[in-house]
Amino acid sequence: MARDFAADIADPIAREIVSNVGTWVDKEVKPQASEFEHADTYPDPLVKGMSDMGLFGIKIPEKYGGLDLSFECYAGVCIELARGWMSLAGIINTHVLVGYAISEYGTEAQKQAYLPRLVEPEIRCALSITEPDAGSDAQAIKTTARRDGDDYVINGQKMWVTNGHKAGVYLVMTKTDPAAEPRHKGITAFLVDHDVPGFIKGKKFEKLGYKGVETTELAFDDARVPATAVLGGKEGSGFQHIMSALEVGRINVSARGVGLAQSAFDDAIRYAQKRQAFGKPIIEHQAQQIRLAEMATKIRAARLLTLDAARKKDSGIRSDLDAGIAKLFSTEICQEVVLDALRIHGGVAYSKELPLERYYRDAPLMIIAEGTSDIQKIVIARSLVKDYPI
Amino acid sequence: MNIIVCVKQIPDPETPSSSFKVDEAAKKVIPAQGIAPVVNPFDPQATEAALRLNEADGGGKVTVISLGAESARDAIKHALAMGADEGVLLNDPSFDGIDNFQTAVALAKAIQKVGEFDLILMGRSAADWDMGVVPSGVGQLLGVPVVSVAKAIEKNGGSVKVERVLDDGFQTVEAPLPAIVSVSNEFGEPRYPQLRQIMLAAKKTVQIWSAADIGLGAEETGAANRWLPLEALYVPKVESNVEIIEGDSPEEKARNLAQKLRAAKLI
Ligand SMILES: Cc1cc2nc3c(=O)[nH]c(=O)nc-3n(C[C@H](O)[C@H](O)[C@H](O)COP(=O)(O)OP(=O)(O)OC[C@H]3O[C@@H](n4cnc5c(N)ncnc54)[C@H](O)[C@@H]3O)c2cc1C
Ligand SMILES: Cc1cc2nc3c(=O)[nH]c(=O)nc-3n(C[C@H](O)[C@H](O)[C@H](O)COP(=O)(O)OP(=O)(O)OC[C@H]3O[C@@H](n4cnc5c(N)ncnc54)[C@H](O)[C@@H]3O)c2cc1C
Repeated sequence: MARDFAADIADPIAREIVSNVGTWVDKEVKPQASEFEHADTYPDPLVKGMSDMGLFGIKIPEKYGGLDLSFECYAGVCIELARGWMSLAGIINTHVLVGYAISEYGTEAQKQAYLPRLVEPEIRCALSITEPDAGSDAQAIKTTARRDGDDYVINGQKMWVTNGHKAGVYLVMTKTDPAAEPRHKGITAFLVDHDVPGFIKGKKFEKLGYKGVETTELAFDDARVPATAVLGGKEGSGFQHIMSALEVGRINVSARGVGLAQSAFDDAIRYAQKRQAFGKPIIEHQAQQIRLAEMATKIRAARLLTLDAARKKDSGIRSDLDAGIAKLFSTEICQEVVLDALRIHGGVAYSKELPLERYYRDAPLMIIAEGTSDIQKIVIARSLVKDYPI
Repeated sequence: MNIIVCVKQIPDPETPSSSFKVDEAAKKVIPAQGIAPVVNPFDPQATEAALRLNEADGGGKVTVISLGAESARDAIKHALAMGADEGVLLNDPSFDGIDNFQTAVALAKAIQKVGEFDLILMGRSAADWDMGVVPSGVGQLLGVPVVSVAKAIEKNGGSVKVERVLDDGFQTVEAPLPAIVSVSNEFGEPRYPQLRQIMLAAKKTVQIWSAADIGLGAEETGAANRWLPLEALYVPKVESNVEIIEGDSPEEKARNLAQKLRAAKLI
């Protein structure tokens, strides 16, 4: 038994959904997660469970057969998924993010071609920005797309693509005008189907954590796509579109930080009541009470920041500031909370028989992916400066 | 088929024993603080059985009935989210403290008020009092056959073929419809509600019927009119002893253990 994790969700239907996903996580995910993780195998039965519930269609507009639920609901669902296993929230992340980019910025033809297929889902989505020489500085990408009649020809190499082998459609960031100034004006995003000739799926990375879901290299060797594959149909808007979609990604990663930290805390507060040292349960040592109280406070703040960022996004305003603050805070406290949970467990935390070691390997991903903590701070500061004109 | 499923909300069976308390004077279980009640674990299996039977049959209607506190609406909502069509909550101050027989009377009256039915499904027992008598009670009152502890149910024209779980095996029986079947955990996992169904369930209204609405007389309800007067309610003291069985070889240890168990009349 644990606390009602859905209690902070304002909308009653969303609360019901989050609570149901939480039940599924407790029964189906928690008992199996470490096994899948240690074997680094793709969790097909869990992903099937997620699609049976309809999670992949959560943000697709109703008009295209989706559920069109709120970001608040989505954030709550991602917190719960990550409470079971962080990778599951990663499997859904790029799917929802690309689905969002298509529904917000796609042409009507693109919406009709893709959105209904993302609901069941018949195909899943990946997002490909990062390259060997461009990560935080995304505008430094070198992958090019050259116009050739009714087509574009894409060349270049991509790195760190989550869902890179299993996706059916990839939102790929390219340069259509490498000489453009400012650089973002030369950036165009393409919807590339998985079977385009010249589109090569590269090796899968061996990772510290975030296992089960594959993160891969991709290469484009004269990959030819029709001009209709340009997201929104207009060259030069790709950077803007992807940055907006990344707000959705940051809400997701922030939620993952909350869920993972919650899971570590839940284990720690139970263990602290069972484990005896110096004649009493360790929870009765004040040092441990203080530690647990600090952990709980951080998680609570992270949860509320995450839901707040999601609600801002629901209200339709640009939420890079709020999503940035939430992501920065949740992922940083996640590291701290997980380490504290390890401390509380003492030696057993170091064993693979408990999930603590998995939490510990999963936590660092989140301070890197979807923009490092440094980059979040830059986004936050730049956004705040606009509020204080002098 | 028109199927009626009876579901019950109970204290969470996972409640740690340290949080489980009874008020011996009032002869009542004190709800554990911060631990929400849950659907009786066998009941979603009954709902699952209803949904599968109607899916195989190409249609039908599933009505869910629960007798309980206002919070039992959640148990009904859960069944609606799984795919049931309608929900009725039997809620009345006089239901506080009634026994299983009075519950059966109330459910039978509510079922009569619902009207037409081909099949009534319930969980094999409720995991709180664990008596398992409500299905038989309702069957007696409605004058329909009752088949208990089902692991598989198949509709066969105007009857149902039910595979029952026995202590030492399985038994297959057939009952004419309408009938009552109580469903066991061997039936298989109930489905998880789909997001879309949860959204639809939220829009469905749960009707609330009082004792008067189902025509229950004052003498039929209320803790004072229990068929089974409650003499005392207390948490049993659990004592445990550890004894290490000695022996030079595993065989000898096993023999010594067997002798001890036999002496204690445990085998
Ligand atoms: C498991 C995993 C999955 C991923 N999935 C995807 C995916 O699906 N799609 C995708 O496109 N990418 C993905 N990524 C890539 C991820 O987004 C990048 O790793 C991340 O943005 C950081 O980029 P980088 O690795 O190139 O680091 P770099 O940009 O090289 O950063 C190195 C360090 O420099 C710091 N730094 C950089 N610029 C500044 C600055 N201006 N001021 C101060 N410090 C700075 C960074 O904060 C960091 O500490 C994934 C990464 C991982 C590890
Ligand atoms: C890889 C590995 C190798 C090891 N090798 C050896 C070895 O070779 N030989 C050996 O003997 N041991 C070994 N150990 C055991 C190690 O020394 C213990 O794990 C360590 O001393 C902590 O003890 P514990 O695990 O029982 O944790 P516990 O003592 O149960 O501690 C649990 C938590 O309670 C806290 N706590 C305990 N008492 C108090 C208090 N009074 N006030 C406040 N907080 C308190 C602790 O700080 C900790 O946070 C090894 C452990 C590991 C992980």
